[in-house]
Amino acid sequence: MKFAWKKILPIGAAIIMVLLLIAWGWTGLGTASFVRTTLSGLTLGSLFFMVAAGLTLIFGLMDVLNFAHGAMFMLGAYMGWQFYTNPTFIFGISPLIFAFASGLMLLPLIKPALIRWEINSKLQQNLPRIAYALALLMIFFAFNQLDIMGLADTAMVAITTTTADNPLAELSAQEPLLRFWVRPALMLVSGALIAFATAKPGDKTEFAVAEKTTQKWIIVAALFVATVLLTAFREALPETVLLMNGNLRFFLAMIVAVLFGLVFGGIIEITLIRPLYQRATFIVLMTLGLSFVIREVVQVLWDPLAYQMVRPPFFAQPGKAETVLEWFRNGNSTLNIFGVTFPTYRLFIIALGLVMFIFITLLMTRTRLGMIIRAGVQDPEMVEALGINVRQVFTFVFALGIAMAALGGIGAAPFIPVQPLMGDQFQMQGFITVVLGGMGSYVGAFIGALTLGLARAFGDYFALKLSLSPAIAEASTVIIMIIVLLIRPSGLFGKKE
Amino acid sequence: MNAFTTNQSPQPLLSVENIQTFIGQFHILEGVSLTVPANSITVMLGRNGAGKTTTLKSILGLTPPREGRVVFDGMEIQGKRAFNIANLGIGYVPENRAIFRQLSVMENLKLAERKRGDLEQHADFIFDLFPDLKRLYKLPGNHLSGGQQQMLAVARALVPDNKLLLIDEPSEGLAPILIQQMMEAIRKLSATTTVLLVEQNFIMASQLAQRYTIIDDGKSVHSGLMQDLAQNEELVHEYLGASVRTAKSGGEQ
Ligand SMILES: Nc1ncnc2c1ncn2[C@@H]1O[C@H](COP(=O)(O)OP(=O)(O)OP(=O)(O)O)[C@@H](O)[C@H]1O
Ligand SMILES: [Mg+2]
Repeated sequence: MKFAWKKILPIGAAIIMVLLLIAWGWTGLGTASFVRTTLSGLTLGSLFFMVAAGLTLIFGLMDVLNFAHGAMFMLGAYMGWQFYTNPTFIFGISPLIFAFASGLMLLPLIKPALIRWEINSKLQQNLPRIAYALALLMIFFAFNQLDIMGLADTAMVAITTTTADNPLAELSAQEPLLRFWVRPALMLVSGALIAFATAKPGDKTEFAVAEKTTQKWIIVAALFVATVLLTAFREALPETVLLMNGNLRFFLAMIVAVLFGLVFGGIIEITLIRPLYQRATFIVLMTLGLSFVIREVVQVLWDPLAYQMVRPPFFAQPGKAETVLEWFRNGNSTLNIFGVTFPTYRLFIIALGLVMFIFITLLMTRTRLGMIIRAGVQDPEMVEALGINVRQVFTFVFALGIAMAALGGIGAAPFIPVQPLMGDQFQMQGFITVVLGGMGSYVGAFIGALTLGLARAFGDYFALKLSLSPAIAEASTVIIMIIVLLIRPSGLFGKKE
Repeated sequence: MNAFTTNQSPQPLLSVENIQTFIGQFHILEGVSLTVPANSITVMLGRNGAGKTTTLKSILGLTPPREGRVVFDGMEIQGKRAFNIANLGIGYVPENRAIFRQLSVMENLKLAERKRGDLEQHADFIFDLFPDLKRLYKLPGNHLSGGQQQMLAVARALVPDNKLLLIDEPSEGLAPILIQQMMEAIRKLSATTTVLLVEQNFIMASQLAQRYTIIDDGKSVHSGLMQDLAQNEELVHEYLGASVRTAKSGGEQ
């Protein structure tokens, strides 16, 4: 078993080194400083991982460097924060989005019939164009004079009371339902029109089989019902959400961020990245441009301000809990760990990162999708030749990566200010993490993120203690990356190629 | 078995009609036509770089032909996406084997399932052809030898119910004893599945196949019954060059 040694030796050496570092740090710094700095480092590392995980998955499978990842992290934070503090904007817009989606989801259902349609070539060319034009027109009218800025402004009205009967009473009333329902209706039709156009009616070279039709009808029906409900209760829903238990609301906010990330990531992959797979440099430029666009839109809607999101009640009760049990009972904001007073919310961030790591590990090792991803990293062409729709897998992986970034964003929101540039630093660190851990390796991303987080925290500690410039701490991550790359050019867990 | 009977059914399982394939701006295939009758082995012969692999990839849609027709099982498939074509019942054994190195032997086979239970259903048949794979079941793909990889590549194409197998140079780089085993395996699987084979080893080709098509410089130049080609030394010499010596000496060097 020669190969076993090769594997065990570096890992063993690394473990011994880490243990030595811990022993040395513990004795040198004293328990309190050491524990506090370590936990701070793990918090940072956890956030780095949430960004790096998506980056590395996306790069590993598709060779795409997503420079809009930080912007999507930021968007996730905004969506979650809005849902948590005042979801009027989200519920005001969502009927239109859901209506559009339910129209669009007709595509796989109508395509098999449409492509077999006998029409002459002129009609075949022009029908989609007409449909697209009509759809755009309808979208224009659907949004025409919708008070988007007004809706966005609601987020800036801080809702602080949790006991009031109607926390949104002071907000101005929205458009009456009798007039509003036309908007989602228009969006539904325009979604269906776009589905019609992209199905390429009459195009005999297209290929589609009608399979799993019931399943697809159920999706359309579910989206349609959701549209109707969201339209009917669009003013009541924000109030309901705000009157919910704060912890539940925060949990839902995380789900909203994840769903948003999945949908947004999917749309970006299909519309912007897919046409550019053959041109890697264009993708870099495109995602870079996209990040600017996202940031500008956010600034227009919510001003370039920094918002501080309140922590959910489970982490908000002033005072220190002596034990974990006490924290669980009272929801204290800090906890005593080895004599160190540490914010409980940061422990939650560490846990969230851990949960995400476990989720990815299970996904990659225990599911067919994970198998497809691992195979696709090596040879997407062969995966396709086995009868697997690799394009669809690409879309899903991209969406998943964005969803993880968005979840990281809302996870970070109660910890760092919510503002348009909040993702940039994490994106930078995320890229360094990915390079350090080995491009495409999620285990590498995890180890790398923790390493960088710890380096950052200990760097800060020493910079403060020895009154050095804090730039030392910021440089430490890059220094570590350079050292690792000198020893292992493909990163800690990278494949040699 | 049916080595000398040829199935001349009016509708072949696969017919390729004058396809033109470009890779980048290179015009690689300039008119390849061939037919593969059902329940037989058809071999594609030709020099290195003639365009045999590209022909297989064009059929499967991995390098879609720009012009021409590909008809499989009565359906035009040119221009369709590769995964759709494969799902019609075409298995592919590429010349580089393309075993997934990060996946175990079992996972490599599992991945090829088109519906749940495919592997279980065909496991006996597969292990009967390649008993070694049973022993290697848990091993990661990157620990397999070249010969074992080749067996796995063929086995992978047998996991789902395929009507047609495209097998690219299965004997390449194998030891003589393994070539024998591979030949035996292909003969056995051809009892249930139609095969389009690319093979440089003329001995192997002539013993297995009932029909042949010769590709030269991106064009199909000749096709017919294998037993006729074996007699036509001139033709073999003209298009296959070195292969003729292999055929006469009867060895692999
Ligand atoms: N990606 C590519 N870019 C440019 N040319 C290519 C590419 N792939 C193949 N070719 C060219 O296409 C021609 C046919 O290649 P192909 O692999 O189909 O030949 P082959 O008959 O399978 O050869 P061999 O017996 O060596 O496997 C060759 O001249 C090759 O150089
Ligand atoms: Mg070849």
